[in-house]
Amino acid sequence: MSQWVLRGLKTGIKSTPYPARAEAAAGISPGYPVMTRYPGATARAVAGVCPTAALKDVGDRVEVDYRRCVHCYRCLRATETPMKWEPGFERSTLNAGGRVLDGAFERSVHILVVDAGDCGACLNEVRQLDNPYYNMHRLGFFITPTPRQADVLLVVGPVTDPMRVPLQKAYDAMPGPKCVIAAGACALSGGVFGPSFAAGSGVAGTIAVDVEVPGNPPPPLAILHGLLVATGKR
Amino acid sequence: MSAVSPREIECAKDELPGVCARLYADESCGFAGLIVEERGAEWELRYVFYRAEAPGWVHVVQRSPVSDTVFPSISARVPAADWHEREAEDLFGLKFSGHPYLGDFVLHNDLWQEGLCPMRKGFDAAKPVLKREPDPHWKPRRIVHAPGAFVMPVGPVFSGVTESAHFQLETVGEDVIRAFPRLFYKYRAVEKIAEGRPLEHALLLAERFSATTAFAHALAFCLAAERIAGIEAPPRARALRVLLAELERLRHHAGAIQEICESTGLAVAASQAAILEEDLLRISADFCGHRYLFGLAAVGGLARDFLDGACRNCVSQAGEAGKRLDRLEKMLRTSSSFLDRLEEVGAVALEDARRFSLVGPIARASGLARDLRKAQPYCGYEAFAFDVPSEGEGDGYARLRVLFAEARQSLRIMKQASTAIPHGPVRAAAALTSSGATLGWIEAPRGACFHWLRVSPDGAIERYRIVTPSFINWRGFHFAVEKFAFQDFPIMLASFGLSAAENDR
Amino acid sequence: MGIGALLAIFTALCAGGMVLALFVPDRRNPEMLAAVGAAASAVLLIAGAGALLGGLAYSAQLWTMPGIGPLRVSVDRLCGLFLIVTALVYFPVSVFSAGYLRRYAGRYSLRAFSVMYLGLFFSIVLILIAGDVLLFLLAWEGMAILSYLLVNYEHKEELHARAGYLMLAMGEGGTLASALALLVLASAAGALDFASLKQSASGLGEPQRWMVFLLSFFGFGVKAGLVPFNSWLPRAHPVAPGNVSAILSGVILNLGIYGIARVNADILVPASTLPGLIVLAIGAISAFIGILYATTENDLKAMLAHSSIENLGIVAAGFGAGLVFMASGHPAFAAIALLAALYHMTNHSIYKALLFLGAAVVDSKAGTRDLDRLGGLIRPLPWTAFFFLVGALSISAIYPFNGFASEWLTLQALLRSVELPSTGVKLVFVLSGALLALTAALAVTCFVKAFAMGFLGMSRSGHAAAASEAGRSMLWPMGMLAALCLLLGVLPTYVTGALDRAVEPLARASAAQALVPAFFSGSPGHSELPAQFAAEFHELGAQTGESVAPGPGLVMLHRGGESNPVVFAMSTTYGFVGLAALLALVAGIVLWLTRGRRVTRNVRWDGGVRRLLPEMTYTATGFSNPVRVIFDAVLRPLTVEDTKETVAEHFRTAIRRTRHDVHVIDRYVTAPAAACVFWIALTAARMHHGRINAYVAYVLLTLVVFLILAAVS
Repeated sequence: MSQWVLRGLKTGIKSTPYPARAEAAAGISPGYPVMTRYPGATARAVAGVCPTAALKDVGDRVEVDYRRCVHCYRCLRATETPMKWEPGFERSTLNAGGRVLDGAFERSVHILVVDAGDCGACLNEVRQLDNPYYNMHRLGFFITPTPRQADVLLVVGPVTDPMRVPLQKAYDAMPGPKCVIAAGACALSGGVFGPSFAAGSGVAGTIAVDVEVPGNPPPPLAILHGLLVATGKR
Repeated sequence: MSAVSPREIECAKDELPGVCARLYADESCGFAGLIVEERGAEWELRYVFYRAEAPGWVHVVQRSPVSDTVFPSISARVPAADWHEREAEDLFGLKFSGHPYLGDFVLHNDLWQEGLCPMRKGFDAAKPVLKREPDPHWKPRRIVHAPGAFVMPVGPVFSGVTESAHFQLETVGEDVIRAFPRLFYKYRAVEKIAEGRPLEHALLLAERFSATTAFAHALAFCLAAERIAGIEAPPRARALRVLLAELERLRHHAGAIQEICESTGLAVAASQAAILEEDLLRISADFCGHRYLFGLAAVGGLARDFLDGACRNCVSQAGEAGKRLDRLEKMLRTSSSFLDRLEEVGAVALEDARRFSLVGPIARASGLARDLRKAQPYCGYEAFAFDVPSEGEGDGYARLRVLFAEARQSLRIMKQASTAIPHGPVRAAAALTSSGATLGWIEAPRGACFHWLRVSPDGAIERYRIVTPSFINWRGFHFAVEKFAFQDFPIMLASFGLSAAENDR
Repeated sequence: MGIGALLAIFTALCAGGMVLALFVPDRRNPEMLAAVGAAASAVLLIAGAGALLGGLAYSAQLWTMPGIGPLRVSVDRLCGLFLIVTALVYFPVSVFSAGYLRRYAGRYSLRAFSVMYLGLFFSIVLILIAGDVLLFLLAWEGMAILSYLLVNYEHKEELHARAGYLMLAMGEGGTLASALALLVLASAAGALDFASLKQSASGLGEPQRWMVFLLSFFGFGVKAGLVPFNSWLPRAHPVAPGNVSAILSGVILNLGIYGIARVNADILVPASTLPGLIVLAIGAISAFIGILYATTENDLKAMLAHSSIENLGIVAAGFGAGLVFMASGHPAFAAIALLAALYHMTNHSIYKALLFLGAAVVDSKAGTRDLDRLGGLIRPLPWTAFFFLVGALSISAIYPFNGFASEWLTLQALLRSVELPSTGVKLVFVLSGALLALTAALAVTCFVKAFAMGFLGMSRSGHAAAASEAGRSMLWPMGMLAALCLLLGVLPTYVTGALDRAVEPLARASAAQALVPAFFSGSPGHSELPAQFAAEFHELGAQTGESVAPGPGLVMLHRGGESNPVVFAMSTTYGFVGLAALLALVAGIVLWLTRGRRVTRNVRWDGGVRRLLPEMTYTATGFSNPVRVIFDAVLRPLTVEDTKETVAEHFRTAIRRTRHDVHVIDRYVTAPAAACVFWIALTAARMHHGRINAYVAYVLLTLVVFLILAAVS
């Protein structure tokens, strides 16, 4: 067994310096489109490229509804008037009236992850949060399998019909104070799947959402940023 | 890619079981799936069989007027058709006489009422189903009759970060006698919401319904669409497609290895594998912009081009990760406590693998060495030199060895693909709108995957049927989970590496 | 009032009750029974207390049987103790019967029940106060027959007849053996009364001593439910009515201990350690086998029956240790061991009666005794559940209830074996002690299973869901017994004081003196630690702090001997007070801290299943399955069938598993013995071949044999 100890020691520390300092490695995020200025008619054409209506033309510019962007890159590639895309991942927002867990939750927040029908990518990104690169334990975030000990409910997926009751049950079973984070385009707007008879249009249709983390899927650092927003550290 | 036209056999309803049984009796023949289409006034049931030798594809087609919804079940002779018939019964309302257990499959009986049939043409998928009549007397299906036996429910919300699926473990208290997975908690009706939409939108669906193998599904969809349109992707696109597909396979296998190590509790190995998976995700994003390769596959080729230097850089980075993967494998093979937990756990016999036409690393670990890249080459795979590794025991350790070996082969293909990428366009000229129906197939990281596409003259999807490797392999999970101890259950789940999202669609 | 007068009142009450039962209408009989039974028990309690605590001995001569001699009655302290225990059990069970017996109205004769019940009461008391062999045996037979009739009360059920018959048959076999033992003693003494037996017992030779010991131990052991003659007990309990089960376990099993104690500790004092070791070993093995089968048993009453075997095994183990100490010249330790045995016997009567009454309520309200079909009864039956929980805690020897005190004392007594010289003896003690420790652990498992599967969780059957709480006449007796469980556990020093008076004449030393030193007993002038005691403490290297003695009689402590000079102490009283105070303090702090908060109640978390059904919850079989698997070598299931009926081979439609267990004693003792008897009978039956010529020849043969005998002698 000593080979594992030696291997671990040789690998060293891989943790990202985020959030103390910025993380600049390559490939940590797919990037996000940002507001781009275009004259009226072009703006309309640019906005029309988006298959999920994430782009809105507001007169002289095109705004981005991050809840709806599914990272199809059509606004970047499939047109002569592309939208500007920026790297980075800090796009999580706190909803008005959303609950922030600060104070007593400074060093220890327990997260229950509920998969309400996601495609597997969002869940995989959440799984990466525990790998040596992101290492969320150093920030006091822990995953728990039971809602009774959870403070944060992290939901991915558009909330398919069969998962509606389990999601509601998980939320009800959590003792207060609790905070709900919806991560991913599906969880925020249904993505490409909802609304339909089988899938909903996001978590907000079932339980109230406090923090929104956009992306398809949101990279682990974006989810981490969302957790920091939920605990008032960002 | 050669145009492969399947041999179609049309037969009468009562001959159906016999014809299918005769085809399936050939040991090298696999059952791809059952495709049900409601074409106006008649049903068209298409049973797809495939094999390595000619003829590669045999479609047994059965046509019946729409009013006649009773068909003979072939599951007794072709066990692999079991879940296909159950899905057809739930979604289309067809009855397969002779099938011992229909119902409560995709649409759970304690959630939806009988007779919903959402895949019928008259059903409006956009509206939520408001009138519900779930079965008030629903009870879990029990097979064990013993005094004091009970059903231990696991899920749908269970463990740490796992996909939602429900398992009913029947036990008398000490060991689990059998486990019954109850899936389709993540049913998003992808096949239904694709109908009537243009090809580009359906491509989005294909990419995103099981995003951990997004590129593979998108590629299968594009291959089918290209065959319908009669166009072929240019050579540069083919080479890059192979590169991207193998990159995805490498990354997926690193993730699967990480899950196996984590389930056995070997923390350092799990961390090492997690580092590898994250490295490969970052390599993917650095190369093409998205960690899971979204937005690359397009009908006719690829949506964007890459610099040759960038390709070589990507492959060399992946090669370095591959070396670390080899080192991890060497270390794991000498950790006896780790192997103790994997060996002889969740074994699937070759006979069962063959009868249920299991696919992918799981089937290859049981000795069923089928790989569509060799048997039915697509996208130029016939030009690449690689092996298809297989093992014999079919237990967790065999599956792990297959994963490592396949990762090595993927790297080998990637190196070949990146050395001499042909020059030229990366996307074929826009196709004339054409209609038709065909099967697209691909060897996805989890196994063989079949996309059946029917496009109507106005360019909209008429029928989109996806037979995923997880759908095929979850049926094989039943055999692995008989008479085991509770604590082996997460290890079995991890060593199978199946995706509920891919199965549920 | 003298004991004789009290006993006369008791007899009058019983006889009067039996006569009254015939005149009172059938439906009102239970209330009459309750009243008379309670009154008689109260009188008996006073009589017993007088004999034990007051030190009043009583001896009288009843009428003289022609040709045999006078029938004697004698009440001494040991007898007084058993009378108290009997009364303490009979009182609540009688009150309980008022409500419980209503379920038999119209189906069986309640008059007959009252007559048999009071008759049984009388015969039990007669056994305890009997002063000579004949009265003892007469009363014993009366008790055997009446208890058979009561156990077989629901005689219309086929199964019940067989169980009752087995009890009667094995009981008679035991009676025969014990009668032989008493007769051997009587023939050595030349008289029948116990006093003369005691006087002449010391003159018995070695083989006679052994014969008396073996016959009396195994003979009375049948009644006490000791291995290897316990097969009748788990079969008799489930078929008997609930209140009869309580009597059977709480009183009648004690009669076996009384018989063993009377013959082997009182009349015939052991000369060597071997008899005591045999008793100890049998006791430990009984305890283990009893609790093992209790843990894997699903029928509530059969489980309690197996548990009785376990507890009586612990009593026998303590008793055996006492005999060994008596034979090796350590009277103080013998006294402690005998005290522990009698304490445990008392405790067992109380909490087993409580548990059986609780099981009777469950059986009559939920309609089933099968733990796999009960569940969730705590909501409809809150008080029954609470009292059953107290009983379960007591029997699992959980502090601060009475089981803890007596098991602590028993194990302490076994630990005293370090003082004994012989290695072989020490080995037996150590092994028995280990087996008793294993038993204690299994007992906790067993009763966690019983309480959890029976009362907690979801109802597993419609009956369990439709239950309703028992009436007050059934709850008050259980409450009284539960209160007794707590009192006997929290005030052990007073109990030891009382029991010591019964033990002292047997062991010829005072256990209470050894366990509760004089300066603790509150006698005037002893408020400080005496100098000698403080000096002993300093010898051991301990400090004594303030030299003030704790309150009177609330700490049990004793010092080990030469080779083991440590002090063992236990104070359940102080501990209980401290625990209660701590709980109150913590509760107060929590309530104050959360005074403004709102408490929300939520459904249990079940992983998000849509509806949690009873078949998705653990069954009693599942809970105890690990124990079954671990002790597979002992339990040895005979067949485990695992058939799969499949359609087309890959659709599994059914997997059937059946398990057939035969009790280990039945396998190795009862079944071979029965087979042997049958073989003898079949061989002898060859005589009956129906030919009249042969029968005439038999007559001739017998005549010839007698002529020869007459000629020879």
